[in-house]
Amino acid sequence: MRMIFTILVCKLLRIIGKAVGKGSSLPGQVALKLCPDILSRVKLPSYIIAVTGSNGKTSTVEMIAHILTSNGKKVAWNKEGSNQIEGVTTLVLNSATLGGKVKSDILLIESDERFAKYTFRYIKPTHYVITNLYRDQLTRNGHPEWVYNALKDSIHEGTQLILNADDPLVSRFGADRKDVVWFGADKLSSDTETLESVYNDGAYCPVCKAPMTYTTHHYNHIGHYRCTECGYRRQDTEYTITAVDLDKGVMEIDGKYRISLALKSLYNIYNILSAYTVARIAGISGEKIAADMNNYVLQNGRVITFTLGNRRGTLLTSKHENSISYDQSLRVACAYKEGCDVMIIVDAVSRKYFTSDVSWLWDIDFEMLRSPNVRQIVLAGKYVNDLAVRFSYTDIPNDKIKLFEDIDEAADYLNSDRKEYIYVITCFSDKGKFLGKVKVD
Amino acid sequence: MKLLHLYDDIMNLYGDYANVAALRRILENSGETVTVDKISLGGQAELTDYDFVYIGSGTEENQKLVMKDLARYRESLKAYIQDGKTALLTGNAFEMLGKSVTDSEGKVHEGLGLYDFTVTEQSKTRVTGDVIYESDFLDKPLVGFVNKCSEIQGIKDSLFTVKMGLGDFEGAKAEGIRDRNLFGTHLTGPALIKNPHLLAYIAQCVTGKQPETAYLEHERAGYEITLNELTKRTGES
Repeated sequence: MRMIFTILVCKLLRIIGKAVGKGSSLPGQVALKLCPDILSRVKLPSYIIAVTGSNGKTSTVEMIAHILTSNGKKVAWNKEGSNQIEGVTTLVLNSATLGGKVKSDILLIESDERFAKYTFRYIKPTHYVITNLYRDQLTRNGHPEWVYNALKDSIHEGTQLILNADDPLVSRFGADRKDVVWFGADKLSSDTETLESVYNDGAYCPVCKAPMTYTTHHYNHIGHYRCTECGYRRQDTEYTITAVDLDKGVMEIDGKYRISLALKSLYNIYNILSAYTVARIAGISGEKIAADMNNYVLQNGRVITFTLGNRRGTLLTSKHENSISYDQSLRVACAYKEGCDVMIIVDAVSRKYFTSDVSWLWDIDFEMLRSPNVRQIVLAGKYVNDLAVRFSYTDIPNDKIKLFEDIDEAADYLNSDRKEYIYVITCFSDKGKFLGKVKVD
Repeated sequence: MKLLHLYDDIMNLYGDYANVAALRRILENSGETVTVDKISLGGQAELTDYDFVYIGSGTEENQKLVMKDLARYRESLKAYIQDGKTALLTGNAFEMLGKSVTDSEGKVHEGLGLYDFTVTEQSKTRVTGDVIYESDFLDKPLVGFVNKCSEIQGIKDSLFTVKMGLGDFEGAKAEGIRDRNLFGTHLTGPALIKNPHLLAYIAQCVTGKQPETAYLEHERAGYEITLNELTKRTGES
């Protein structure tokens, strides 16, 4: 009775919540109060895919859901991206009958890194994807090793791990485990021999702490690494990006599947690869996956094209407090050969909590905006002074940079007859303040 | 002027390198010729050659590794500090100077023993937050962020008093350590960028002269905005 009642309340709260535009974590939160062990009472599908990691969770989950559903699977997944235990509870109960049976073939869960150990205490994934571990929201997460330790407690026996072989810290989850599937990229034409980043989180072996060497860097510390002492090294991959041409916007997987990219970034190709890997494991053919991913445009609103007066532009949602997310977006702008203006907004550091910490700006490789493809740089928001100071420590000429504390004024400034494309790089917490000034496609 | 950035590639979690860059710039703008050396694990530094030594923050594991390596410099670091030369250790770097660091599994790691304090880590909750500190040597408060999992007991000569946020331990009113021109604080990241007045003070400790500060316009404006935002949180403004 208690279970039926709890499920009913959760479903009703979700309907009401949707009607008034509330997030999806409250119904689950109430359900967990009413019946704390509700997740162990419901009957879950036999196939449970979980995705976690610092970056790319939401996009990867969306892609997996897209491929699986287009191939006839019934998938329950947390579309809204509420990825802590409450949001996952809402997802599970909302997908269940009143009798407590989840009505889908596959349960697909995006999970927050720090809370995975609580969620997966009740819901044991059969397949567990870990995308990457970066410096991300360190004001809450401490540092990547701290997150590694928290995640370690979320991995149980009997779960197949699906790991990014190119990330040295993530790969450590697979050391000494049997059931691991590795995905990663071969040496790519966009690779660099030396590290191009402000810091090197791959300088020392995560296992023995001796120095590591790289034969190739895909980006930052993601690449082909080897410890100089203990033998820890990048694993050979079962599912592999074999080539990429970011100019043309094409990637190739496993030497035969070519996929055109709607977003020409290395991030995107990794997300596609992890979705591909999961779908292959779920029994879908490479051809079908490649067709589903070809020119796939994410629906999650992270990449938004717009018109501002006579000018066209794209907003690349990047995460504040996450330097690699910024580096990736900056790289997209720098690659724009026809010439672009770049706007960076830091107004509210986080939408979820308050902080004035901007130390993460110093981990972002802004220096790359020296690229001749980048014509003008507009810095905006409450923390514009901190941005200005950060940029003063690059070799970018001062006259290329404009400063506005007010985002409206910055948008008005960009609304000119300049011909350059506009890239706006900012976070969830700040993007609305700009999008209100433009016409979104 | 010779600046030494110790363990730059492993104690560098929150953009800490910017502290050295900021000091270099203020010294150069004040007419000094500046060189910066970076020496890490296994390297050999002659501390007496330097006018400034910096160490930033690291993961708990990396701090233990560095602490073992730093033990080689125990005597030379002690002499350096007693000579009144300037050093800044931010984040968990200054924890290494105490008697010991007890990790979350209860293992005791021996510190350099230059001071009597002890450090205890836990692995359950990351203790983080924005802070406002005050000091007896600056007329304006300091702003910044603390990100740690440790408590420090037994510091006699503190660097700062806590106006808002975290101190040496839960509820502590004091933060950090000061001994002559050694500055140890749990402020993470570019504390000298965020606090141009602290930068100027430390530059003066290094050279003995009043530094050039007119160029720090955006630094000062950024500081005021942050102080204002943080003061709103204390409910005092």
